[in-house]
Amino acid sequence: MDSVVFESVSKSFRHRPALFNWIGKEKTGETCALSEISLRIPCASVIALLGPNGSGKTTLLKLIATILLPDAGRILIDGSDTRFASPVVRQRVGFAMASERSFFPRLTARENLDFFAALEDVPRSQRKIRISQVLEDVDLLNAADTLVMKFSSGMYQRLAIARALLKQPTILLLDEPSRSLDPESAIQGRSLIRRLRSTGTTILLATHNLEEAASVADSVIVLRDGRVIATQKLVSSNAEGLSSLYREGKPEPEPILEIA
Amino acid sequence: MGLLALADKTTAILRRDLLTAIRYRSSFLINVGGAAVELAAFYYLAHAVGPTFHPDGVEYFPFLVVGTGFYTFLVMGIHSFVQTIQEAQSSGTLEILLTTSTPAPTLVFLSAMSSFAASAAQFLFYVGAGLLLYRDAVPAPNLVGCFIIFLLSLAIAVALGIIAAAVQLSIQRGSAVLWLLGSGTWFMTGTLFPVTTLPKPLQAISALIPITHSLDAMRLALLQGVSLTALGREISILLLCAGTLLPASLLTFAYSLKSAKRHGTLSFY
Repeated sequence: MDSVVFESVSKSFRHRPALFNWIGKEKTGETCALSEISLRIPCASVIALLGPNGSGKTTLLKLIATILLPDAGRILIDGSDTRFASPVVRQRVGFAMASERSFFPRLTARENLDFFAALEDVPRSQRKIRISQVLEDVDLLNAADTLVMKFSSGMYQRLAIARALLKQPTILLLDEPSRSLDPESAIQGRSLIRRLRSTGTTILLATHNLEEAASVADSVIVLRDGRVIATQKLVSSNAEGLSSLYREGKPEPEPILEIA
Repeated sequence: MGLLALADKTTAILRRDLLTAIRYRSSFLINVGGAAVELAAFYYLAHAVGPTFHPDGVEYFPFLVVGTGFYTFLVMGIHSFVQTIQEAQSSGTLEILLTTSTPAPTLVFLSAMSSFAASAAQFLFYVGAGLLLYRDAVPAPNLVGCFIIFLLSLAIAVALGIIAAAVQLSIQRGSAVLWLLGSGTWFMTGTLFPVTTLPKPLQAISALIPITHSLDAMRLALLQGVSLTALGREISILLLCAGTLLPASLLTFAYSLKSAKRHGTLSFY
């Protein structure tokens, strides 16, 4: 069965004008974030989402995580519709957001993870071991008892990945996971992605880093202005080939893109 | 969700808030000191008003302490719901919290309960200190009555808090509801003086506010020790308010959450 299915999904954001808008001239109208997206993503695959800023990558991830609801079309996660079965979907999807501001700054990394583990229904008996495991996965075990407000951007990023792994998701969403990472941590992150894939996790990775996409992804999807402009199965880990795909794209003849 | 899971989540939220509170060391101490100063201010206010003023047949200081203490508890409780959403929006945790396996209403409810616990501790401090100072002037309280009124008032405060949280999600200004509650109801619910002092039209409006009945009933049970039968009217009104407001608040919150997810405004603040 496909892990993630998008059927003609569209999402727009309305810009409601401020009162007395002539004073400040705020942008009004609508931004189309995603338009008629149709995708089928098989289990245990790594898909890289490429595209410039504002192309719709994060919106696509947020729709899967049920933070947003589609305006049109539907999204199925392991067969469950995100609109009507969001509790089931949330149990399966782990989301590492790009934002640093998603932790409680006056708690340590371990305390933050312990809090989220309780909300994720991780059994109490397994919590301690699992927290240590995910901290080790992202190489933060040494900083486990440091207040997160003292963390660097890269450490926040790794902690966000650790948090997403707590519930042992079947689908992992990574939004620019290597954005603030040093080269060594980035390499470690890639090997973690490969390892998770080998255990059956489906991974969607939004990134601007073509080298990263080429080294871990099975397929890439290129988005621009909310539309899929190209998809490609990767046969080599050469980022050169991705560069032209990213710049020029390839129009898709089929409304449903089979990525396998 | 099972009771054990609920208890586990409650513990996690209480622990998070306690750890955060004690790590803001100065603020924690200032809050504790502030409650003591406020109590002293009421004591001297009651002295200034003089011993002849007996609103609703009780000494002014216990009247003031129970009125202000219980009112503050309820309004702070309502405020805690808005604060929960506001803090999660501004700290950037709201979206990620909503991706967890815990349903959103449960999350908001438990987070607010943690603040409620702090307000309850402050209320108990007020009442305990007040009754200790004026123990001779107060007959044996009706503790069962107090407990029933406390629970019903709590249910109403939770419902109003959830509505305020829904407004916060929708327009990012749940504080507008609090302003209405805070300044509008403060002088009409008999917090500082009996409602009978107000002109008739305002008394009629006052009777429509659930907190008025909460304060009346709490004073009757705590300061005059009246029986459950004598409290019947107030208890019925509170029961009706709680029974109507709770389901209405849950529906409002569900609608606001869905609307915020549709419009992509969850993280706006």
